[in-house]
Amino acid sequence: MSERFSLEVTDLVKHFSVGGGLLRRPRMVRAVDGVSFAIGRGETLGLVGESGCGKSTVSRVVLKLLEPTSGRILLGGVDVTPFRPGAMWPHRRRIQIVFQDPYSSLNPRLSAGAIVGEPLENFGIAAGKEKDERVARLFERVGLHAEDTRKYPHEFSGGQRQRLGIAKALSVNPDVIVADEPVSALDVSVRAQVLNLLIDLQDEYRLSYLFISHDLAVMRHVSHRIAVMYLGRIVEFTDKRTLFSQPLHPYTEALLSAAPVPDPAKKKSRRVVLQGEVPSALQPPSGCHFHPRCPYALPACRSTDPPLIEVAPGHHVACLRRPPGGDPAPLTPSQ
Amino acid sequence: MTAIADDAVPALRLARFGEAIRRNPTILIGAVLLAGLVTIAVFAPWISGDPFRLSPVNRLRPPSERWWFGTDRFGRDVFALTIHGARVSLIVGLSVALISSAIGLAIGLVCGYFRWVDAVVMRVMDGLMAIPSILLAIALITLTRPGLGIVIVAIIIPEVPRVSRVVRSVALSIRSQPYIESAVAGGTRSGKLLVRHILPNTVAPLIVQGTYVCASAMLIEAGLSFLGAGVPPEIPSWGNIIAQGRTFFQIAPWSILIPGAFLAITVLAVNMLGDGLRDRLDPRLARRM
Amino acid sequence: MNNVLEIRDLATHFFTRDGVVRAVDGVSFDLASGETLGIVGESGCGKSVTALSILRLISPETGRIVSGSIRFDGRELTTLSDEEMRSIRGHQISMIFQEPMTSLNPVLTVGTQIAENIVRHRNLSWSAALDRAHEMLDLVKISDSRRRLDEYPHQLSGGMRQRVMIAIALSCNPRVLIADEPTTALDVTIQAQILGLMLELKEKLGTAIIMITHDLGVIAETTQRVVVMYAGHKVEEAPVEELFARAMHPYTRGLLRAIPRTDADAELAGRRRRLQEIPGIVPALTRPITGCPFAPRCAFVAARCRAERPPLEEPEAGHTVACWEMRRVLEAAA
Repeated sequence: MSERFSLEVTDLVKHFSVGGGLLRRPRMVRAVDGVSFAIGRGETLGLVGESGCGKSTVSRVVLKLLEPTSGRILLGGVDVTPFRPGAMWPHRRRIQIVFQDPYSSLNPRLSAGAIVGEPLENFGIAAGKEKDERVARLFERVGLHAEDTRKYPHEFSGGQRQRLGIAKALSVNPDVIVADEPVSALDVSVRAQVLNLLIDLQDEYRLSYLFISHDLAVMRHVSHRIAVMYLGRIVEFTDKRTLFSQPLHPYTEALLSAAPVPDPAKKKSRRVVLQGEVPSALQPPSGCHFHPRCPYALPACRSTDPPLIEVAPGHHVACLRRPPGGDPAPLTPSQ
Repeated sequence: MTAIADDAVPALRLARFGEAIRRNPTILIGAVLLAGLVTIAVFAPWISGDPFRLSPVNRLRPPSERWWFGTDRFGRDVFALTIHGARVSLIVGLSVALISSAIGLAIGLVCGYFRWVDAVVMRVMDGLMAIPSILLAIALITLTRPGLGIVIVAIIIPEVPRVSRVVRSVALSIRSQPYIESAVAGGTRSGKLLVRHILPNTVAPLIVQGTYVCASAMLIEAGLSFLGAGVPPEIPSWGNIIAQGRTFFQIAPWSILIPGAFLAITVLAVNMLGDGLRDRLDPRLARRM
Repeated sequence: MNNVLEIRDLATHFFTRDGVVRAVDGVSFDLASGETLGIVGESGCGKSVTALSILRLISPETGRIVSGSIRFDGRELTTLSDEEMRSIRGHQISMIFQEPMTSLNPVLTVGTQIAENIVRHRNLSWSAALDRAHEMLDLVKISDSRRRLDEYPHQLSGGMRQRVMIAIALSCNPRVLIADEPTTALDVTIQAQILGLMLELKEKLGTAIIMITHDLGVIAETTQRVVVMYAGHKVEEAPVEELFARAMHPYTRGLLRAIPRTDADAELAGRRRRLQEIPGIVPALTRPITGCPFAPRCAFVAARCRAERPPLEEPEAGHTVACWEMRRVLEAAA
């Protein structure tokens, strides 16, 4: 593939209509409200945010498991946005997904080998004996025993099931893998195994990852660049190092503060404990979506919707108090 | 897992089987009763005499050594009649169950997966379900000729929607599972998705529903025959026999009670089998035991 | 210091179709008055079962406490009648759970559920109980508390429901609050709020807390002493600073090295550093474990570890470990 980016998304929007009936007009949920990013080969883009921020919806839309309301999706340079399921089908080889829940993401009635080998059948890549061999090799690549292809999902542990999911995603040699909270449901001691596996595979096959998680610590280990999402929008977007050392958006700062650190010596006096609840996507606040909870909000924040702009090389922020070339020092709370 | 010695496997299987039986007496009882009835029905001509042999001189005899279940008002051997009647009931029950399951499965799968089909077809199904089979049978029979086939068709039509609802609800619940999304992302297309991923999960509820359809069909057929709208009187059916025994009920109750008892036991057996299977196959109920 | 809870050799087993599951198999620890104790471990280690055992909430059809003693303020809990246990639950020992949506009754208002607990244990009229419920909602910092009293659980967000759970749990001023993964299902910013609230209330009311979690970050931030459990056994216990600075059990050390951190330097010369793995998986609890339960996964395993279970020893004051190869582990760390 000669394209610069394996996955490029521009102004992606996904709205859901909710609660319509015979006599009632449905309401609109702006789950994803204008998201843009691009991932190169061998690169991991982390999408981080809390519940309701739209990150999972982004993953489904990018895979065309949901149709976008508007925007553009370029998969290996090909604009797949208008494709109906029939036209999309051959392009599914390029982008695969690993799910969060190892228990419900594998069909309990199929053998592990059948599950992993199904994409090979679907795309006519291999059949019969050759397929079985490929599946066996995939098993070994992800750290499972080749003899276990006959076993059923319930005979595997949570971590092993995630490996199965990864093997399946890998089977068609995709360019992009969307990993939707791949380790959140796993035990701590197993997370490390799966994360290391993902990193190794990326280095070996030059895979692009869209890595979705609410866990900043995991993000830090796996991502190259990170986009922070809040209520359907990206509020900060930069490389990993800068995000953790010099976060500019107040929400990013709050997220970093909130994550409990496994070191009692660094027990905080947290800088920021965010008040209030995550607002509902049905009724997003006016202006900057974050302003009701923002300790630094100005009156202008209530009325003006800050665009995502590049305030420093490679560092994008959507905040009125963070103009281009501004002082990156922490903000002071407004009165 | 510790390795199990090869020769220990058969013994283990037997032990597991025995345990399964102990845990599910309803399946066992239902299955045994049903098996007994099927055997009797299959071997009817060899077990009993000719059900059509009229012997007016021997009419309305109570059960005795010669006529185990007595005779009816035409002097026919009620035992022979009942055994042959079992054939009709079982044929009707089984064929209705199988055919309506097959059709209901197809409809339910498609409706559960394709939303636009669902909206239209399910309304049609609702309409069909509202038609009582007895009225439908009578209507069909007046249009054509009475016969076993017509009865079966008339009973199938209102049963199909019932089955398709069950299959549809399973399909709907599975459709939202992540592994379906995973299959789609992996390039599985709709047809294969339905057959390989969704259908296997419908088999268990389908079997259970099938047994209830079977029981229901047998009762409906008996009712139809009783009313004279079912199988023609030349073919002995439990409903027919009961109808014919009605006039002399007070002096010869056996020609009603015995076929009635058989009907009740058969339906009970099928229902027990269904209940037992449902308890066994429904993962949520099974876990609680 | 007086101990409000003393647990000795607690063993709780479950009797299933596949055999006996030894969920907790000989666990002992104390909880001092007003202290926050953490119990940390992964799924299946027995931490939740331990909590349920203390309150005798193990469903008798599935399992029971087979041996051991649980003393609350000197009183033996394992031999109390159901009636006596009921007067302790929600009153002197309370518990909050991971999923507030399923722990709250969906058809009763929030105010009713709090007041119910108060009326059950205290001799108050319903209106007095409702007033106290109102106070509790203020205490857990729910805004607009008067209105919330009449709302139903589904009208509240996850964080607010958890606050309601805390309000119910603390409504009768218990001596002990057991919190089983109270923030695992919550967003991280809400988690920070709830944990902060719990610590604040602890200071105010003097309640002792048992914090059960798999999250070592939560342990570091909220607890004073920690018990580490593995496969139904206690493998290490220490004051929290001591545990993080000088953990002695290979499992604890493995856990600490396996977690990714937001603060640590995750890069070495620009490449991503691999996390230290613990190979293998947690053992099945249906078979009795000979030797140390961690032996199959341990980097320091020796012959003795597979044959004999190591006893708990106290190499340093307040720091207990169950490991035969303790010395080698410490040397490797140095």
